Amino acid sequence: MTNDTSTGTVSAPKPAALEEKLEEQAFKLSAWMANQGIFIFTAALILFAAVFIDGFVSLPNITDVFNRAAPIGIVAAGMTFVVISGNYLDLSVVAQVATAGVVLIAVSNETSIPVAMLVAVVIALAYGLVNGVAVGVFKANAVIVTLSTTFIGLGLLRWATGGSIYFGPSDGAIRAFGATRIGPLPLAMILFVVVTLILSFVLTRTTFGFMVRSFGSNREATRLSGVSTPWVVIGAFTVTSLAAMLGGFVLAAFSNTAVSAMSDGYDFRALAAIIVGGTSVFGGRGSVLRTLLGVVFVSVLTNIMVLSGLGFGIQQMAIGLLIVLAVSVDALARKATGA
Amino acid sequence: MTDTQTQPQHAETDDARSDLISRVRTILGRRTEGRAVALLSVVVVITAITEPIVFTSYEVTLGRIALIGLVALGLTAVILMGELDLAVASTLAVSGVIMASFESITIGILAALGTGLLIGVVNAFFVIVVGINSFIATLGMLFFLRGAAFVISGEAPVRLANVDAGIAFGRPLIGPLSPRMLIFIAAFVMLHIFLTRVRAGREFYAVGGNREAAHDAGIPVTRRVFTGFMISGFVASLAGVINTLERTAADPTAGSAVLLASFAAAIIGGVLLNGGRGSVFGTLLGASSLGLLQVALTLSGVQVDVQNIVIGSVLLLAVITDPSSLRAAAGSMRALVRSRSGP
Repeated sequence: MTNDTSTGTVSAPKPAALEEKLEEQAFKLSAWMANQGIFIFTAALILFAAVFIDGFVSLPNITDVFNRAAPIGIVAAGMTFVVISGNYLDLSVVAQVATAGVVLIAVSNETSIPVAMLVAVVIALAYGLVNGVAVGVFKANAVIVTLSTTFIGLGLLRWATGGSIYFGPSDGAIRAFGATRIGPLPLAMILFVVVTLILSFVLTRTTFGFMVRSFGSNREATRLSGVSTPWVVIGAFTVTSLAAMLGGFVLAAFSNTAVSAMSDGYDFRALAAIIVGGTSVFGGRGSVLRTLLGVVFVSVLTNIMVLSGLGFGIQQMAIGLLIVLAVSVDALARKATGA
Repeated sequence: MTDTQTQPQHAETDDARSDLISRVRTILGRRTEGRAVALLSVVVVITAITEPIVFTSYEVTLGRIALIGLVALGLTAVILMGELDLAVASTLAVSGVIMASFESITIGILAALGTGLLIGVVNAFFVIVVGINSFIATLGMLFFLRGAAFVISGEAPVRLANVDAGIAFGRPLIGPLSPRMLIFIAAFVMLHIFLTRVRAGREFYAVGGNREAAHDAGIPVTRRVFTGFMISGFVASLAGVINTLERTAADPTAGSAVLLASFAAAIIGGVLLNGGRGSVFGTLLGASSLGLLQVALTLSGVQVDVQNIVIGSVLLLAVITDPSSLRAAAGSMRALVRSRSGP
C-alpha cells in the first residue's frame, strides 16, 4: 500500500515530456490560486450565498455576520504576525480571548472599566512574553509551547471563575459599545477594520514589521544581519496577545456576558482565515489585509452553513478541510516557484 | 623502593577508573532519558510521602500509565522522524465512535483500527507527498476529525451495543494485569524491538537525524514516513478501542486531555522534537511519571482544571529544557548581551 503511493507518480504511462508540461501547468495553477485565488473565491462564495441561500441578504443577517466576524478578525489580524514570522500559529488565543472577556466584565463589575482594561493588558503582555520567550529564546516549537500555555491559561481561568458566567450591567458602556451600529455596521466591525489598517501599517511600514517578515523568510540571514531575533519573536507574540485581548473585549461586549468557554474554536477559525487569505504558513509571505479577506470568506462560509442548518460537527470538518486544502495549495505553489 | 613499585600500579588503576568513568559518561551522554528519570524520581518520592495510596491502588495507576503511554508510544515513532502527529487525540475519539456504531464488536474493532491506519496514510500523504509541515497538516486533521466524531456520533456519547464484552474487558486477566495493561506492554515490547532491532525501525532514526543523508544512503524516506504515521494512527485508534471497551460507551469529545499528557510523556522522555534521538524506554518513563502525577493529583482531590495547569507546565518545561533548547537559549542570551554592549 505504501509502495504504491511512493512510486505512483513515477510510473504513469504518459510520455515524460507531456507529463512534465502538465505538471508544470498544475504547479502554475496552484501558484496562481495561492496568490489570487482568495479574491475569486470570496466573490464567488458571496454571490453563491446571495443567490441560493434564503435569508443571507437581509440586514439582520449581514449585521450578524459582521458581529461574529469582528472578534475573530481582530484575533486573526494579530495572529498574522506570528504566522508570517514563521512560527506556525498561536493556539493559546483561545485562552487569551476568554481571559480578556472575563476580566473585562468581572473586574469592571467590581471596580471600573479602565482598571479592568489595565489588568487585561498586563495579562496579554504576560502571555506574549511567556510564548515569545519560549519560542524566541529557547527556540522551542511554537505549536507545543502554545498548546501547553492554552491548557495552563484555560486551567487558571476555569479554576479562578469556577466556570461561572459573568454579566455586565445592562446600562453600562460595554453594553453600549456592543449594541451601537452605524447602518448595518456594528461598532465592533469598524474597530476590526481600524485594527487591520493599523497592524497592516506596522507590518509593511515599520522596522519591526520588516524584521518580522524578514525573520519569517530567512532566520539565519536576519540574525546575521544584526537583528536581535528573540525580540522579533517576542514582539510578534505580543502583537497577537494584544489583538486577542481586543478580540476578547469585543466578544464580551457583543453579548455583554463572559464565560471561560466562549472562545472555543477561535484558534483554528483564525488560522483558517489567515491561511485562506494567502499568508504562507512557511513564513515570510502574507499580509494583514489578506487576512481581512480570509475572515470575510470564513465568516460567510460559516454563515451559509448555519443558515443551511448544518451542525457544529460539519462546520468543524469544513474548516479543518479548508485549512488542509489551503495549505496544500500553498505547498504546491512553493514547489512551482522553486522557493 | 616500595614507592616506585606502587606508583605505576596506582596509575594503572587510576587509568582504569577514569576509563570506566569516561565510558559511563559517554553512555549517559548518549542517553536522552535524563529528564524523565529526574521527574519520575521527584514524583515517586513526593507521592510516596504525601499520597502512598497511589502505590497501594496500583491497578488505577497502571491503567492511567497505560492510557497515556499507549498514545505516547505511537507519537514516539513519528517524532523520531522529526514530524508530529497532533491528530492522535481526534483519531482516538473518531475510532471509538466508529467502533461503537457497529452492532458486532469484532467488526467494530476492525473498522476502528482500519480507520486509524487510514488516518495515518492521509496524514503521511499531506506531509510527505504534498509537502505540508506536519504540525499544520495534522492540526487541520485534528479539527476535521473532531468534527467527524461529532457528526458520526450525532453529538452525543454512543453506547456500546455489547456491554458485557466491555465489562469482561475491564477485568484483570493475568494477576493484577488488565487486558489494557497487557496490550500496552505488548505494544511497548513490539515497538522497542522494531526501533532497535529491525532495519526499517533503525532507519527511522536516520530519517529523523538527516533526511537528505538518509535519502542519499538509499533509505526509502517516503515509505518510512508513511509507516511512522500509520503506526501512530493505528496505536491511537487502539487506545480509542480500549477506552470505548472500558467505558462501554464512546465519547466524541474524548482525548483532549490525553493529547497534552502523551505529548508531555514523549517529550520529557527525551524524544527530540527535531527528530533522530529518543527511545521508547524514555517514553515509558515519561508516561509513568505523568500517570503517577495525574493519579496522585486526582486522589488528593485536585480539580481537573488545576491538573491541566500542572500537566501544561510540565510540557512547557519539557520543551524548554530540551538540550537543543537550552543551547539555543544560551546562544540567544549571549547575542542579547553582545548587542547591548556592542556599538
